[in-house]
Amino acid sequence: MTDTVAAAVDRARSAMVGLRTLGQEVEDEWQYVADLDAAWGERLDAVAAARGAQVLPSSTSAAIERAAAETALISDPHRAIDWLSTFPQIVLFALDEPG
Amino acid sequence: MRFQDAAKDARAVVYAGIQADPLVARAAAALVDASPGERLLARAVMNGESNDPETWRAMFPRLFGAGTDANERARSDAILALSLEVAARGEQVRSQFRGAIVESLTGRLLARRVPPASLHRERRILFDGIRAEIHPYDVTVELPERAEAYDCKWGARGIGPDVLLQLEAARGYAEAEGSRLLVVLVVFDARRSCRVRLARQTAPLAGIRLVTLESLDALGRAKTPPATGQEVPAAPVGPPAAPSSAR
Repeated sequence: MTDTVAAAVDRARSAMVGLRTLGQEVEDEWQYVADLDAAWGERLDAVAAARGAQVLPSSTSAAIERAAAETALISDPHRAIDWLSTFPQIVLFALDEPG
Repeated sequence: MRFQDAAKDARAVVYAGIQADPLVARAAAALVDASPGERLLARAVMNGESNDPETWRAMFPRLFGAGTDANERARSDAILALSLEVAARGEQVRSQFRGAIVESLTGRLLARRVPPASLHRERRILFDGIRAEIHPYDVTVELPERAEAYDCKWGARGIGPDVLLQLEAARGYAEAEGSRLLVVLVVFDARRSCRVRLARQTAPLAGIRLVTLESLDALGRAKTPPATGQEVPAAPVGPPAAPSSAR
């Protein structure tokens, strides 16, 4: 699997859409979920802007793909909110970037 | 300012059983020497869906990949196994376990810096002439010359006005009577998420310190935390940074 940082971030951002949509089913947390998504999205976009063309080791691409696949298993909105914080951290850790 | 054990109501008795579960102690013991990446692994697995360790190993190649130091790999494997044990307890129970683990971890890290006899769990703080809060503090450090009160949260979402108001009120009451009380929020989540959560809180934040997943080790480092408002190992809560959409 050959991937660039930009492609990996795109994959992560797509996964975050699912988490945000599910998390916003918790009406009281709608704004928090939107803010969380925006904050982590900005951080990931900054990484893509700085390193977008960089080719990733296959293990890193696979790690992000696995993490994205894990988000797809989540069906509970409360857990989705927790993962909207956890998932971008996993992606950034795989990319060797600080949170 | 004085301290008192929390009332042993039914909820407290049930939760005490969770706190005393050996799995809580084993997980906290493993996490006390863990790296930030290993703590992130624990956070992910304890709240994840997959129960296959290989899935998680693939998700964290920096912890489990080829070329990883054998000792670090063994530590990561131990944390993974313990985290899967927590996850296997089922949704309702594991959320209680996670909270108890963060509390136990906080206590263990603090024990690196303060005498064990000064560390207490589930304590209320009483001030003359002030009605006591019912909600106890998860961990307290009670020394003759100063005290510290810790509220522990699994995730940033656990931060709410109630806990902020209680922490800030206690700090203010202590200050008013000339006592030294450091109030700290310990959150097993990223600083960025905590700041997002705090950005829309209207409760006073200035006197509350924040410890996050990235800065947990700071709990055990400072030999003598100075008075509130000065530089301390934990970052001050305010002013929080909001995402651009929240500004």
